Amino acid sequence: MAASPSIVPVAVTAAVVPVLSASSDFSNLREIKKQLLLIAGLTRERGLLHSSKWSAELAFSLPALPLAELQPPPPITEEDARDMDAYTLAKAYFDVKEYDRAAHFLHGCNSKKAYFLYMYSRYLSGEKKKDDETVDSLGPLEKGQVKNEALRELRVELSKKHQARELDGFGLYLYGVVLRKLDLVKEAIDVFVEATHVLPLHWGAWLELCNLITDKEMLKFLSLPDTWMKEFFLAHIYTELQLIEEALQKYQNLIDVGFSKSSYIVSQIAVAYHNIRDIDKALSIFNELRKQDPYRIENMDTFSNLLYVRSMKSELSYLAHNLCEIDKYRVETCCVIGNYYSLRSQHEKAALYFQRALKLNPRYLGAWTLMGHEYMEMKNTSAAIQAYRHAIEVNKRDYRAWYGLGQTYEILKMPFYCLYYYRRAHQLRPNDSRMLVALGECYEKLNQLVEAKKCYWRAYAVGDVEKMALVKLAKLHEQLTESEQAAQCYIKYIQDIYSCGEIVEHLEESTAFRYLAQYYFKCKLWDEASTCAQKCCAFNDTREEGKALLRQILQLRNQGETPSTEMPAPFFLPASLSANNTPTRRVSPLNLSSVTP
Amino acid sequence: MASVHESLYFNPMMTNGVVHANVFGIKDWVTPYKIAVLVLLNEMGRTGEGAVSLMERRRLNQLLLPLLQGPDITLSKLYKLIEESCPQLANSVQIRIKLMAEGELKDMEQFFDDLSDSFSGTEPEVHKTSVVGLFLRHMILAYSKLSFSQVFKLYTALQQYFQNGEKKTVEDADMEQTNREEGERKMEKEELDVSIREEEVSCSGPLSQKQAEFFLSQQASLLKNDETKALTPASLQKELNNLLKFNPDFAEAHYLSYLNNLRVQDVFSSTHSLLHYFDRLILTGAESKSNGEEGYGRSLRYAALNLAALHCRFGHYQQAELALQEAIRIAQESNDHVCLQHCLSWLYVLGQKRSDSYVLLEHSVKKAVHFGLPYLASLGIQSLVQQRAFAGKTANKLMDALKDSDLLHWKHSLSELIDISIAQKTAIWRLYGRSTMALQQAQMLLSMNSLESVNAGVQQNNTESFAVALCHLAELHAEQGCFAAASEVLKHLKERFPPNSQHAQLWMLCDQKIQFDRAMNDGKYHLADSLVTGITALNSIEGVYRKAIVLQAQNQMSEAHKLLQKLLIHCQKIRNTEMVISVLLSVAELYWRSSSPTVALPVLLQALALSKEYRLQYLASQTVLNLAFAQLILGIPEQALSLLHMAIEPILADGAVLDKGRAMFLVAKCQVASAASYDPPKKAEALEAAIENLNEAKNYFAKVDCKEQIRDVVYFQARLYHTLGKTQERNRCAMLFRQLHQELPSHGVPLINHL
Repeated sequence: MAASPSIVPVAVTAAVVPVLSASSDFSNLREIKKQLLLIAGLTRERGLLHSSKWSAELAFSLPALPLAELQPPPPITEEDARDMDAYTLAKAYFDVKEYDRAAHFLHGCNSKKAYFLYMYSRYLSGEKKKDDETVDSLGPLEKGQVKNEALRELRVELSKKHQARELDGFGLYLYGVVLRKLDLVKEAIDVFVEATHVLPLHWGAWLELCNLITDKEMLKFLSLPDTWMKEFFLAHIYTELQLIEEALQKYQNLIDVGFSKSSYIVSQIAVAYHNIRDIDKALSIFNELRKQDPYRIENMDTFSNLLYVRSMKSELSYLAHNLCEIDKYRVETCCVIGNYYSLRSQHEKAALYFQRALKLNPRYLGAWTLMGHEYMEMKNTSAAIQAYRHAIEVNKRDYRAWYGLGQTYEILKMPFYCLYYYRRAHQLRPNDSRMLVALGECYEKLNQLVEAKKCYWRAYAVGDVEKMALVKLAKLHEQLTESEQAAQCYIKYIQDIYSCGEIVEHLEESTAFRYLAQYYFKCKLWDEASTCAQKCCAFNDTREEGKALLRQILQLRNQGETPSTEMPAPFFLPASLSANNTPTRRVSPLNLSSVTP
Repeated sequence: MASVHESLYFNPMMTNGVVHANVFGIKDWVTPYKIAVLVLLNEMGRTGEGAVSLMERRRLNQLLLPLLQGPDITLSKLYKLIEESCPQLANSVQIRIKLMAEGELKDMEQFFDDLSDSFSGTEPEVHKTSVVGLFLRHMILAYSKLSFSQVFKLYTALQQYFQNGEKKTVEDADMEQTNREEGERKMEKEELDVSIREEEVSCSGPLSQKQAEFFLSQQASLLKNDETKALTPASLQKELNNLLKFNPDFAEAHYLSYLNNLRVQDVFSSTHSLLHYFDRLILTGAESKSNGEEGYGRSLRYAALNLAALHCRFGHYQQAELALQEAIRIAQESNDHVCLQHCLSWLYVLGQKRSDSYVLLEHSVKKAVHFGLPYLASLGIQSLVQQRAFAGKTANKLMDALKDSDLLHWKHSLSELIDISIAQKTAIWRLYGRSTMALQQAQMLLSMNSLESVNAGVQQNNTESFAVALCHLAELHAEQGCFAAASEVLKHLKERFPPNSQHAQLWMLCDQKIQFDRAMNDGKYHLADSLVTGITALNSIEGVYRKAIVLQAQNQMSEAHKLLQKLLIHCQKIRNTEMVISVLLSVAELYWRSSSPTVALPVLLQALALSKEYRLQYLASQTVLNLAFAQLILGIPEQALSLLHMAIEPILADGAVLDKGRAMFLVAKCQVASAASYDPPKKAEALEAAIENLNEAKNYFAKVDCKEQIRDVVYFQARLYHTLGKTQERNRCAMLFRQLHQELPSHGVPLINHL
């Protein structure tokens, strides 16, 4: 659908039209800045606060314009002038959230701006009443029944206008929102696409589109306008659809063309890194972001997750207190505080804060899952199951909730029962090793060793996070007396640990060395055996065995057994690592709040 | 015959066959519809004895219960219902509601204030604890709990409800619109209506807890007893989704959704619903029970058990076993003997599919009796009887056991099990080859009234037992050559169990088997061949067997032999004795048809030994027939005759018509063969007797349209008449033979070399 001049908003007169039909490249940043400033103003006039905020933020990140280039405010048309008084009054009422009153005074206005505000206040009034109703409904079964009564009427009026092609970009946006609220998803998508064609600068329409598109295929079949806004949209939706590589690529491009100061883009990049669990990068970007924009609350819950995973108590505490000072009653704040308490093992308090987050926004998915984790920590399995189920109800694709359910049942010693849940989680994230390891453990408990082996191997193949898959695989092989494979697995495991160079306690290291030492001993490879036995001596639990083995080797060698040919050890052990690696408390598998996407 | 126990699954909404949804929380609240019903009750109380005739009052009383329990209906529908039973009352109710809706809020408030008057006085109109009294008190309580804004909301809802009702009634009469604006508004309304109409068709509004529970338990019991009367799977699912949208915590809906998904064999959705149900149940169990831990653990055990049942139903036996092990482990840990009993029963069901495990079953029955679980106990007895019947126990012991379990059933009025028991008796008698007894049992079940009637006026439920009995009936009739009656029974089956319902497979198989037999009798082998695929789809073993028979009839001996050998090995492995004997008989037939009757003898003897051991009289007499025939071919007709004398009695008493014909034919053949050595007068006498027997055989064959056999008989008769010099009769027979011979394709088998 082409943006024909006839349906370009009347509020924007001929002089502004070329500005609004955004170009497809970033060659003219000044033009883009002008457009952003203009749209920020337009959206503000219509009470679309979030879009206005987004545009203004983005505009702020671009260099300032000289006075000569500053855009004069769009001239006022005859129609606007006629509705001016009503609009001014209504806008004032609107701003103090007296929507019905605003709508009353706007009734009968014909200018586009006034009409939009009229419809929008009716919509918001309906939404507000709906929220009030939920508290006061007639019975429990009616809870889900409460709906925005205004929606239907709005839909009828808007659809008439739509058919008569009288809607401008904002009108189309509102129509789309109404359709979405009525669960008419297909129609809503069409209308939003139309809205982006007519008024590509309005970020709200793009954002709504993001929420409606559920997979890559759908995205392919949309005919989107060819503007620079599309790049932002694509980057955003790639992040949503977990196509992180593509998203990062897009964001990098945006930074390259000059949006490097935009806190929006920076935060999105941080979220993307968080999603692919590149924790260090994400952390550093978030720290940077905090410096740039210290009072930002959005995305701070993600940041706190990262801090949690790294167990950075002091940083998390600082963040929590800071946010609490800025605004106590934000979902993100509650979430950060919840994470903070969880890290301090005060799980009751953590659950309380997650509950508060849910009260503030019942559709805030992350909190349900996190609350489930907290209940798990408190060993309240039934409450945990409830929380996870709620999370799944809000979003069926929440793999963490499925995984959490699986873990709950695993704790209840129902390995077969939890298979289903792990499988669901695995389906949603086929390349996540944690689900595979969990599946493998269940199969192992059910004595289905073949399946278990498959799971562990696959977990290793997709890149094991916790580095446990190989050990478990090795132990399975050990059980099945497949010593060759077991040794291979242990060797790979040790190579893996030393190559990644991370200093994490690995209890299984000693087990690996012990097995290898014995394996080489049996194969009569004395050199290798003694190397491994020496390694064993570095660990508390295997020290005695290592020494005993060393003695035996020495004895056998002295007896005149010719040592086998000098073969290089199959792996390289950095001396610094193997010496001071005392195993401490192993992270319990229950520490689930660390489960981050 | 298919196991009667496929319906063995645990339903938490059911104890000992009685379905009830669980009870918790607030149950009901005031809606405009409820107000209308209250007005009706109030009016009924106000009108004195004389105003309403006795008949009308009775009809009204009958109407009340569904009104109180059912979902909300529109005002016009309500008027219509009342009008049907008592027009004058409908009128006064209408006026009262009109007054209330068009008046002020205080009218409604006044109405509720006055409601409690009906309890007062020395002779109250309504008893406090009656159904109506409870309803009234519920409503008064719910009303007084409403907050300020809720009361007003209720009143506006009432006005809306009233106006909608008015609009419906006025709509047809008054078409003109006063002014344009109103017309426009109406159009808008209609436009809106179009978009939401499809939602509203199925569900007129949110159900209250009570209504929802009623709906669920009704549908659940219908699914169990009479699937055809329940909503179709799609619409039921839609209702459930609706219900869950309004109240996601309504766990029972998930269970019903699971049952519904089982109906359409959807393994994914049913697993999903089942697990969701138990996830939810765990919550409610933990919240509402004072002995929280107990209720919670209990649902865990049953969750695993149900999962096992689900996998078993879909044939995932390995998974089922794993789930069952889990259930058993948890149940053992918490000392739950009842759950363990259920597990044990399932363990048997699982074991049954692989190898026999009656020890388990015996244990199960003993324990179940010990723990006072009559349902499980007699289900166990029935399974045991079935198992023993296949293992060849004598009828009197089995019947004794069944009689004992029948005692249990009647004592606890487990009507479902009574039905199963009779169906089982039918099957057992049929297994033993006593068609008369089987017929009698089947008829008994069919003419018996069910103890629990789901809907008033319906005496029987459409359960599996009925399907089984009816199938037996159809097959028995077909055996006796009453094909019209058989197809009549099948038609009835098709109506009662539509093709997509749970038990439809039973009659489908039965139908195809009968068609197959008819096609074989008729010599239409291509037709029979085409039926084999259908049979194989429903029962693979039966399918392979029939395929072999067709091949044999088409003279493709080596293929048939290969197939039969494979089948024999398989059946011996799974201990399907009935089929083993049938296969042995077919193998023997193959041998003597390829002119090596001596090889056939040991096979036949083996079959005879087996059928005697397992007391399968029907198969035994068929084996004897085959043996006699083999002896005849081997040239010892006297032996054959004496053997036949032994077998002919049960065949004539209980056998299929085809077998009767074959027996008589064989007798005649033997008589002729043994008469060869007699002196002429005696010989003529013997031949006359043979001709008589042949006539009888011909009659039997004619009943089941066995043209080929008739042709053989006629040929034989012609030869005999020729020997006796009766030219006229001979010519008649010869002509008949010629006619038949032209009709039928000849397969090059020596005519007489056929049983």
